[in-house]
Amino acid sequence: MVSMKFAQSFGKSSGSLKYKFGLLFLPLLFFIIYLSVGRYHLSIVELPSSLFEETIERSVLLNIRLPRAIEAMLFGACMGVSGAALQTTLRNPLVSPYILGISSGAAFGASLSIALFGAGYFFLTQPSAILFALIAIFLTLSMAKFRGQFSPISLILAGIIVSALFSGLLSLVQILVEPEKTQTIVAWVIGRLHTITWGDVFTSAPLAIFGIFGLLILRWRIFLLSMGDEEAKALGVDVEREGMLVILLASIATASVISVTGIIGWVCLISPHMTRFLVGSNPKILLPSSLSVGASFMLLADLISRTLWTFEIPVGIITTLIGAPVFLYLMRRAMYEWS
Amino acid sequence: MNGVRVEGLRFSYRDFKIENISFEVRKGEILAILGPNGSGKTTLLKCLAYILKSQGCIYVDSFDLRNCNRRELARILGYVPQMHVPSFPYRVIDVVIAGRAPHLGFRTPTKNDYEVAMRTLEKLGISDLAERPYTHLSGGQLKLVLIARALVQEPRVLLLDEPTSNLDIKNKILLYRILRDISEDISVILSEHDPSLASFADKVLMMKDGRIVSFGKSSNVLNEKTLAEVYETKLHVIKNNGRVHVIPAVD
Repeated sequence: MVSMKFAQSFGKSSGSLKYKFGLLFLPLLFFIIYLSVGRYHLSIVELPSSLFEETIERSVLLNIRLPRAIEAMLFGACMGVSGAALQTTLRNPLVSPYILGISSGAAFGASLSIALFGAGYFFLTQPSAILFALIAIFLTLSMAKFRGQFSPISLILAGIIVSALFSGLLSLVQILVEPEKTQTIVAWVIGRLHTITWGDVFTSAPLAIFGIFGLLILRWRIFLLSMGDEEAKALGVDVEREGMLVILLASIATASVISVTGIIGWVCLISPHMTRFLVGSNPKILLPSSLSVGASFMLLADLISRTLWTFEIPVGIITTLIGAPVFLYLMRRAMYEWS
Repeated sequence: MNGVRVEGLRFSYRDFKIENISFEVRKGEILAILGPNGSGKTTLLKCLAYILKSQGCIYVDSFDLRNCNRRELARILGYVPQMHVPSFPYRVIDVVIAGRAPHLGFRTPTKNDYEVAMRTLEKLGISDLAERPYTHLSGGQLKLVLIARALVQEPRVLLLDEPTSNLDIKNKILLYRILRDISEDISVILSEHDPSLASFADKVLMMKDGRIVSFGKSSNVLNEKTLAEVYETKLHVIKNNGRVHVIPAVD
């Protein structure tokens, strides 16, 4: 259903037709490569047959690589779609769940729950992550609002303040808890996918998918919101309510994956931009395409994290190393446009 | 009565207010709101567009707008802002399609909506811009795109905030011609800085400090006495073929 609409919207803008199939199959391609490559090599041809035999291959595939690949895609999809939705709604190409403090809020919420109740209680960790993600985003937005407007700079600065606040609180939690819990939290905060189990996938997937689909369904309204508050009102949009809904869905999606993976930075900022570069800015095409690009980007980043070195480098480090220079490039370009 | 009737409209924010605004514009008529900077023209238009919340009554075709929700309002009132800061380089046709929103709600635009948008672009003579990114347009082209967006709303009243600002003289006249065509079956209310251009309108509403100074047929309102009172500047008024030419008396 989504893929069909996706294809239709591509049909209308002739220039991007060539990306139609490319972007649909990109995650699938990376998915297959991801499952096959690694310390324990599985040939692509033998992938299907290895599923049905009681072998080590089956165990590696089913218990280790498959849940990890799915969580990577889920994370990338959430970040791509939430990032694109927030950038469009707030009319600011430099914001993302990470920049706006949603990620830091979620990380603090999850750590707090781990510190108080211990790890392994997802029914406490996840709601706590979502709650603090929402507190963080609303703090950022209320700080950034000046005379009813969000200036591009004020949003980013308010995001930095809120991120700093929650990072500070997170450090405080780490110091105050018992040493063995500190280790759990430190290991958890550095974004990683190597500990992902089926349990993590099943706990994060429902709300993540709910958030993603919510945003995809709303993408026409998100486009209208990007016309600016007053004009959106004149076009019949209930700006406060619908804007809030977008922020709520993006925060829920982001927080639910972060509550099992920890903070994996920059994906949410750069995947929408890479997508915009390929298909343009209209959310009708941008949002579903960001889903594909985000998922593919995460599979690739995690593949690098598994195979680059003799031991695993946490994927958060890989995405940050890719993300920082890309953000620098975007910042320079934005400064050029603002001047 | 077919058209707009405003009764006792009031609005205040901090120390700025507009008071006791009442007027009528029939279907097929153009009303120009005239007044110095800060007289409340933009505020009044935003009140009429329900972007700002005001007190008083606005009737369109004798229908009280107070009980309408946003979507219903957007099917009656089309609004063209004075300035639009583009956020992303959308295609012109996609920006115009946004005007179909009040007819679609949460549904996405269909082929039919694209046809309506294309027809409107053709009517305004800018169909060749359809595929262009709207961030790369001249001031005049952008204005026409925003007018097209308001027109595909199929409104009964079109509100334009200083539509001729930033336009060269040729485009200013072209714009009034277009508005004259459009106003055949709707009411048009616009704000204007140039008294001579305001004489293209059927009616003129003169404002100062948030109050109406004079309202009526443009040829009656645009006289030396009223203009001098409103702008606190001496102006010569020359009448010719029912048109009014206002010339600043510099010396």
